[in-house]
Amino acid sequence: MSLTLTTGSGFWNPVAWLIAITVVLVVVYLIWRRGEAGYTAGSAQVKPFISGNPEPSKKAVHVPASNLYWGFTEALSGYYSRVIPIHTGIATDYLLWVLWVTAVIFFLVVFL
Amino acid sequence: MKPTPSFNRSLWVFHLNTGSCNGCEIEIVATLMPRYDPERFGMKLVGSPKHADVILVTGPVTKKMAERVKRTYEQVPDPKVVMCVGTCGESGGVFYDSYSLAGPIDDVIPVDVYVSGCPPRPEAIIHGVVKALAKLERLEAAP
Repeated sequence: MSLTLTTGSGFWNPVAWLIAITVVLVVVYLIWRRGEAGYTAGSAQVKPFISGNPEPSKKAVHVPASNLYWGFTEALSGYYSRVIPIHTGIATDYLLWVLWVTAVIFFLVVFL
Repeated sequence: MKPTPSFNRSLWVFHLNTGSCNGCEIEIVATLMPRYDPERFGMKLVGSPKHADVILVTGPVTKKMAERVKRTYEQVPDPKVVMCVGTCGESGGVFYDSYSLAGPIDDVIPVDVYVSGCPPRPEAIIHGVVKALAKLERLEAAP
């Protein structure tokens, strides 16, 4: 049984893949072994240097993905300020909206 | 990356201002200028205590800075040497009776080399660096 998968854009072979990973890991290990070991593990030497200030908790400095959309939500804040209160999370509210919209469309289609 | 033994005398220095009037800073910068040029020996200021062999402290250590001085000192890898540059760090200098002092420096962290002067001349700072080098060599030779 051949282990090589050949497609129009190239081939894939698990043995070649394992050899490549092994070579990369050996190179990584050699670089790591040349590193400076002269620090005390578990001490302040392994903490980040923030101009001598204490390290804040991970929660305090976490940048959530929503921060990426700050400009977007800020630009559309007029829209969001109206839409967000409507989204109550209560199913009967949404059902009421469906009924209202259906009634308006029904009115528009039938009487106009 | 581990430096080769040829770099043992190329001290990297982290400068920490704990409330100095900047007189000492001006002299430190003068020390680094081409007239003295310690960088030809591989000695230079670095931006992080984690890269430093020597922590060079100026100023009398204000109360606000005391915790930060301790934290920065703890982050310098061993073996390390602390240099106190200027009279303020030794005794508080002209600020000795200020309400806002936690120092002098050796009340906050252990100091290995004192360079006196208000501010000390570059020659004195270089002399202090040589003393720091001798201390570091002793520390490195110790088991």
